Amino acid sequence: MRRGTFALSAALLLYPWLVSGTGSSAFLQDMGANVLLAAVGAAAWNIVGGYAGQISVGHAMFFGTGAYLPLLVFHHWQLPPVVGVPAGIAVSLVIAVLIGFPTLRLLGHYFSMATIAVAELLRIIVSNWDFAGAAIGVQGPATSRGWWDLIFRSAVPYYYIFLAVLALLLFVAWQMQRSRIGYYLRSIRAGERAARSLGVPVRRYKLYALMLSATFTSLAGSLYALKTGFIDPESGLGILVSVQLVITAALGGAGTLLGPLLGAVILVPLQTATNTWFGGGGTGLTYIIYGGIIVLIARFEPGGLLELWHRHITPRFNRRAQAGDAA
Amino acid sequence: MLLSAENVSKSFGSFKAVAGAGLQVAQGEIVGLIGPNGAGKSTFFNCIAGDFAPSGGRIAFDGNDVTDAPAETHARLGIGRTFQIPATFEDMTILENVMVGAFLRCARRGEARDRALEVIEMTGLKELADQRARSLGTPGRKRLEIARVMATSPRLLLLDEALAGLTPTEVQRAIELVRAIHQSGVTIVIVEHIMEVILNLAQRVIVFNQGRIIAQGKPQDVINDEAVIEAYLGRGHGRKAKQ
Repeated sequence: MRRGTFALSAALLLYPWLVSGTGSSAFLQDMGANVLLAAVGAAAWNIVGGYAGQISVGHAMFFGTGAYLPLLVFHHWQLPPVVGVPAGIAVSLVIAVLIGFPTLRLLGHYFSMATIAVAELLRIIVSNWDFAGAAIGVQGPATSRGWWDLIFRSAVPYYYIFLAVLALLLFVAWQMQRSRIGYYLRSIRAGERAARSLGVPVRRYKLYALMLSATFTSLAGSLYALKTGFIDPESGLGILVSVQLVITAALGGAGTLLGPLLGAVILVPLQTATNTWFGGGGTGLTYIIYGGIIVLIARFEPGGLLELWHRHITPRFNRRAQAGDAA
Repeated sequence: MLLSAENVSKSFGSFKAVAGAGLQVAQGEIVGLIGPNGAGKSTFFNCIAGDFAPSGGRIAFDGNDVTDAPAETHARLGIGRTFQIPATFEDMTILENVMVGAFLRCARRGEARDRALEVIEMTGLKELADQRARSLGTPGRKRLEIARVMATSPRLLLLDEALAGLTPTEVQRAIELVRAIHQSGVTIVIVEHIMEVILNLAQRVIVFNQGRIIAQGKPQDVINDEAVIEAYLGRGHGRKAKQ
């Protein structure tokens, strides 16, 4: 386990350097940054959707809030976009509390539908709100006015910023997993009635999970806006943003620590490849692939790829290790 | 009285599942609830456990009014329960299942783990501690439910058909376990269809029929009660019990 963590950390730290010798290093470094960003978003969703089992399909509301605020503080007051990051988190927390109280009473699909409705409502409001750039969206600074604008020509600085945030998020999730909140969230996912009978304050803990998840999803949105320097209602608040967070986590393994990262490592290159090979038509193909993945996960492996690994591959390794010991 | 339920009723639309039932349980008692299917005993049981808010009446536990309190408040005050159909956390290991219960009284992970291991040993699940709950059969799941609730250190334990579906040997082992729990100072209310269990364990029996209590008293007196024989046990059972 420790060796695996060390190898993974080393690979993530050295990736930009490892690909720098190739002919398409800039492309690969940019894709690496996108993988980490997708992993941050999916790992943030995983707190409420994976551990607590509350399948939100409206997390774009937090992602979009986090993405809009940095660019809005620049657009209206010429402040460095990074100033808008804590503001985005604060607004996301307010939204989480406001929608959490009524929606977390709902179970299963009803909760999912309520989150879709709120996110879509927010998207429609923003699409018609001139202050937020309406349907056109808002832009960040075109050129860097100083390091505080966090505008870099290369993707490598973004890669390391995203990696630092991912490391922080995974550390928080790991700590959470080992503490009372982690056990309580998993029990809520397995059965609310039984959890309640053991003294678990179900609604309070679901709200904690939603708030923690909203914080990091907002941060993911801010990182996206800082890197791309542009946001519009579709790219920040569209339903496909939410769907991507869900699928990335579910493919790797919802409710597991590294599942979201595994999902991102598979999905982002796949999405990049389809976009590269098929141009504009690739966007549509990506959604077909998403649909196919949903069907496959739901039908064959709801636990995701990590569960598949633990069930089929890990026992083989253990048997081999035992055979080795016996010899 | 440790538990005092007075004139409790529960309706679902126009259907009255429990109609003015009452129950007083003193510290250290084992009380059995019996009755035919649909008699309202499980609904009454769920009202005491905080799963259903009663439509009328009053429930107090150790002097605290818990009539409209949610289930987690009941657990916090010391009322623990098991479910008729075991509701174990399938993807979690047995140790993790029990730790969820232990976290009610232990804030730290280490403390919760120690408490869980203690209970797991007592309930005979030690060898299986690292297996997932989904790998257990019915007897294991029932035992796990008891372990999980015992980790919350309850003062009153509500067992909802905790022995149903077990083989005669397993029933005997389960009776021994319930007895050991009682001897550790826990008061027990048990809903059960297996008369052997009720006769072996209960000091007092309450019989439900059509949402009302039709008889109560010592087990031997209750099984000879004409109304109970008529509504629940049947003539054959009465003769068998007398022999």
